[in-house]
Amino acid sequence: MLFNSLEFIFIFLPISLLVYFSLLRRRLAIAAKSWLLFASLLFYSWWNIKYLPLILGSILFNYTIGGLLAEYGSGGKRPIPPKAIFITGIAANIALLCWFKYMDFFIGTTNVLLSTQLPFLKIVLPLGISFFTITQIAFLVDAYEGLVEERNLLSYTLFVTFFPHLLAGPILHHSEMMPQFERLRNSVLNWKNLYLGLTLFFLGLFKKVVIADTFSVWATAGFDTSQPLTLIPAWLASLSYTFQLYFVFSGFCDMAEGIGWMCFISLPVNFNSPYKATGIIDFWKRWHISLTNFVTTYLYTPILRVFDRITFTRSLVAIFLAMLISGFWHGAGWNFIIWGGMHGLGLVINHIWKKNKLPMPSLLGWLITFNFVNVSFVFFRSKSLEGALAVLKGMAGLNGVMLHRSLAKVQALKDMGISFGGWLDPIKGNDQTWIMAVCALLIVVFWKNSMEIVSNAKPSWGRLCILMLIAFWALLDMGKVSEFLYFQF
Amino acid sequence: MISIEELNPIFRQVFDDNSIDITRTSTADDIDDWDSLTHMNLVMAVEQAFKIRFALGELQKLKNVGDMLDMINTKIRT
Repeated sequence: MLFNSLEFIFIFLPISLLVYFSLLRRRLAIAAKSWLLFASLLFYSWWNIKYLPLILGSILFNYTIGGLLAEYGSGGKRPIPPKAIFITGIAANIALLCWFKYMDFFIGTTNVLLSTQLPFLKIVLPLGISFFTITQIAFLVDAYEGLVEERNLLSYTLFVTFFPHLLAGPILHHSEMMPQFERLRNSVLNWKNLYLGLTLFFLGLFKKVVIADTFSVWATAGFDTSQPLTLIPAWLASLSYTFQLYFVFSGFCDMAEGIGWMCFISLPVNFNSPYKATGIIDFWKRWHISLTNFVTTYLYTPILRVFDRITFTRSLVAIFLAMLISGFWHGAGWNFIIWGGMHGLGLVINHIWKKNKLPMPSLLGWLITFNFVNVSFVFFRSKSLEGALAVLKGMAGLNGVMLHRSLAKVQALKDMGISFGGWLDPIKGNDQTWIMAVCALLIVVFWKNSMEIVSNAKPSWGRLCILMLIAFWALLDMGKVSEFLYFQF
Repeated sequence: MISIEELNPIFRQVFDDNSIDITRTSTADDIDDWDSLTHMNLVMAVEQAFKIRFALGELQKLKNVGDMLDMINTKIRT
């Protein structure tokens, strides 16, 4: 069940909220929490009930290990060294993720390197496994380091499975979530929260079904076609994907945040107008912020701590490695590793630039950053390395240039070797394609983002009308068949 | 009990700037060079100076001087 489905919006969400509110009203906080947990497990099982035991098993395992580590930290008996328990816990999580996400990648790589013919396992990736693995690894690390004081199986299970974030994040941290679940007994239904939460939800829905789904047609056509793309359709295909990814991903996070608000649970803000960034460092402070925090805390820092003394060069090495791993976490393929490596390199160059106090006008910085991000997403979107290179070849102009047939009369263009015809046919585009791309660019660069819109919004009739219009438009557009995309990372 | 006067020299040394005068309310936004990279230098310098060790999960909570000072003092006491 996706947020952008009728059964979610008209059945699942209203019933979940109604029961939840009425339990809270009677001050039955534990029942309300249990109900949220039940709703979350139902949401998870809707996709495929086969994986319910997997997520529950993972939760019980990590909760037990975390409990052992927390107790040992406070001076309990130690039949087994805490370090051994800790390493076992981390290794088990990584092994689980490797099995479900990376087996075929390892098999494929082995086949290429050793010229073997091992068969692929074709394992289906369980929903949310990348998320629930890393959030629980963070829990284990914190438990090992003595930071886990609050332990409650119900709150813990709810923190891992809480349905708003299961599909696309944000990545939650136990220290932010569990205390909120503990405080629920003091919550009362608040109309302003409900209104703002709904606003955020429908803004997110609009971003997903009206904007992202429109771009996805052109992006999919451009990236999955076997015919070589000429200059302009290649750029429009890559830009379409860059916009699709932002609007779908931040849209899902807005919806998650909105549902959270309605439930009095505040989820971390995950996007802050990333395409306004004027540098790669800036970009990662704005894009998938909860991931950046995770990578900084649990990847970059431990790598850096391996060194006894920190130098600038060592910090850069640690950044690059952390981004490489983060890239691989996003997907099991060389294209994701290259994507991570590109961003690692981008961050390294940005830091060197900054350290040497080299000048960078913001407009130029923005132009470089946006184009860098756009090109990097070609690797992110392509199904393979060859696919990415094919699109990049088109973007470099190596497949020639074709313009709209109405320009065929201009002799000067003809002399430059430009051909004319259905210029956007290869990406199933039309004039709407470039108009939408220009509008999207203006929106992401000049407009407020949804959090900014909602944070200063005072409920008023005018705003309510706009909200209804947005909601209505989004609901109408949901009838269109859209690409089934759930986040593999 | 560590005071802010004892912390200031470490900031000046890490950020290589003798004009820095931190207060309890100083944050990463107030000092130009205080970014994710130098933050780690700062943390490790503080750890060495006061013979303490921060947990990974605490590092992001050290982005303002007041919190950092409180955490240093909690760690020294235990």
